[in-house]
Amino acid sequence: MSALAEFWSAWVIWRDPLLASVLAGALLGFLGVYVVLRRVVFVSAALTQLSTLGVIVALLVLEHLDLETDHQEIQLFVAWIFSVGGGLVLGTLGWGRRLPTEAGVGMAYVVAGALVILGANRLVHVAHDLNTMVFGNAVAVPFQDVVILVVVTGMVALLHTLFQKEIVFSSFDRETAEAMGVKVRLWGGVLFFTIGLAIPVAAHVVGALPVFAFLTIPASAALLATRRLPAAFAAATALGAVAAGAGYVGSWVLQIPTGATMVVVAGALVLPAWLWRRFGG
Amino acid sequence: MQPLVRLDGASIGYGGRVLLEGVSVSVDAEDFLAVVGPNGGGKTTLLRTLLGTLPPIAGQRTAESPLRVGYVPQRDHVDALWPLGCGDVVLMGRVPGVGPGGRFRPADVEAAERALSRVGLEELWKRPFGTLSGGQRQRTLIARALASEPRLLALDEPTNGMDPSAELSAMDLLRELHRGGGLAVVMISHRLEAVANYARRLAFADKDQGLWKVGLLEEMLRPEALTHLYGREVIVREEDGRRFVYPVGKGEGR
Repeated sequence: MSALAEFWSAWVIWRDPLLASVLAGALLGFLGVYVVLRRVVFVSAALTQLSTLGVIVALLVLEHLDLETDHQEIQLFVAWIFSVGGGLVLGTLGWGRRLPTEAGVGMAYVVAGALVILGANRLVHVAHDLNTMVFGNAVAVPFQDVVILVVVTGMVALLHTLFQKEIVFSSFDRETAEAMGVKVRLWGGVLFFTIGLAIPVAAHVVGALPVFAFLTIPASAALLATRRLPAAFAAATALGAVAAGAGYVGSWVLQIPTGATMVVVAGALVLPAWLWRRFGG
Repeated sequence: MQPLVRLDGASIGYGGRVLLEGVSVSVDAEDFLAVVGPNGGGKTTLLRTLLGTLPPIAGQRTAESPLRVGYVPQRDHVDALWPLGCGDVVLMGRVPGVGPGGRFRPADVEAAERALSRVGLEELWKRPFGTLSGGQRQRTLIARALASEPRLLALDEPTNGMDPSAELSAMDLLRELHRGGGLAVVMISHRLEAVANYARRLAFADKDQGLWKVGLLEEMLRPEALTHLYGREVIVREEDGRRFVYPVGKGEGR
């Protein structure tokens, strides 16, 4: 039986993981348009790291209290607190005129990364599961994770449908929006709340590296290939879904790591987008 | 006339650091006030305080409520990377009026089209903002401010980096809009020459000299006052009904 035929015959196994991956790719692809246009690509890297730190903190606390460490909903909840809190702080607060924003983002990224290493060092007996908990396992995603992802995607879609014009205005020209009475901190907060909400649940499904990739690459390709904002959002959402889906299928058929395959597929989408911009668009 | 906005004995600055003290100024509905001073002299901070986005450190700000403001930033502060059409940018001026959760209605699109037409760019509604020339971008940003149907139009260095012809054209447009009625204009500029033929009132702001002075244009354009501001001799000449302001270089004769 060919690898592809084997893949089709095993649809019960891959249905939920593929659905979750496609949903995560689409969600992050959409949000990535703001991440790229606001030039906060490394905020998403820092938030992914903070979300990982949240999982580690949850595990450490559960262990300290002699409770079962297999409470994934608690881990996700703490990861959300870290990710959303980090998003609100890094995305909406400035450092005044003394430090560029990048300095705060860099500090958050590297300190959170170091704390993850230190925390993981204390959790040696769950090291086997830790990798899956933190970096995702798109091969085996329980249906519960798909439901959580659907709910988060729905919330993000609702907030961005209702408040798109405020979020776009505040992101595009903060100075003018503020002068004209738009509450730029509130709308920046809504944007980073949704990014902070999406990262932990997506990281749990596809892993940290694909999360960073999906928040950057599909939007970059979409912005190369399109000339209008609604088209860029649609294209980034579609490219995120395609990269996640094709990456998942490719990794299954070729028996190679899933997250890395998704990232490579996403990266490969930039070339046709660039060619389209250069010669066709 | 009831002022639209007013500062009384205000200390302005940010982060607890005072840039200018004792600032008193009011802007009424017929005003065209130009705030002039060197770069880094506190002009933008003053404008932000007037607009209410930065509270005064001391003193008082009072304003008409709600004060409808159309704001025009320096055009290089606006990111041309965003894939937005000229019309999309102008429509943003309607966002404060529509309110959170609301959708743009046909009346909003009509108001934005009217505003674009007032600045002479009605043909460019669909043109990507990033492909516009510097002068066209400036006019688009002015149209966005007008789309909000403001009582006060505030502009931060609107002619910065423009060639002389584009500068004159932008200033003529502002005068036209102001004379159209019902629109007060407050603009800041580091170039006195840019505003000497347009403003009704002039203010000098320079934090390094601790200078804040405001008055009618004719009073403020006296050579002695300008010499004090610039720290060098300044000549003001009128030719064919236009004022020309020349700071004289050290060692240069008249």
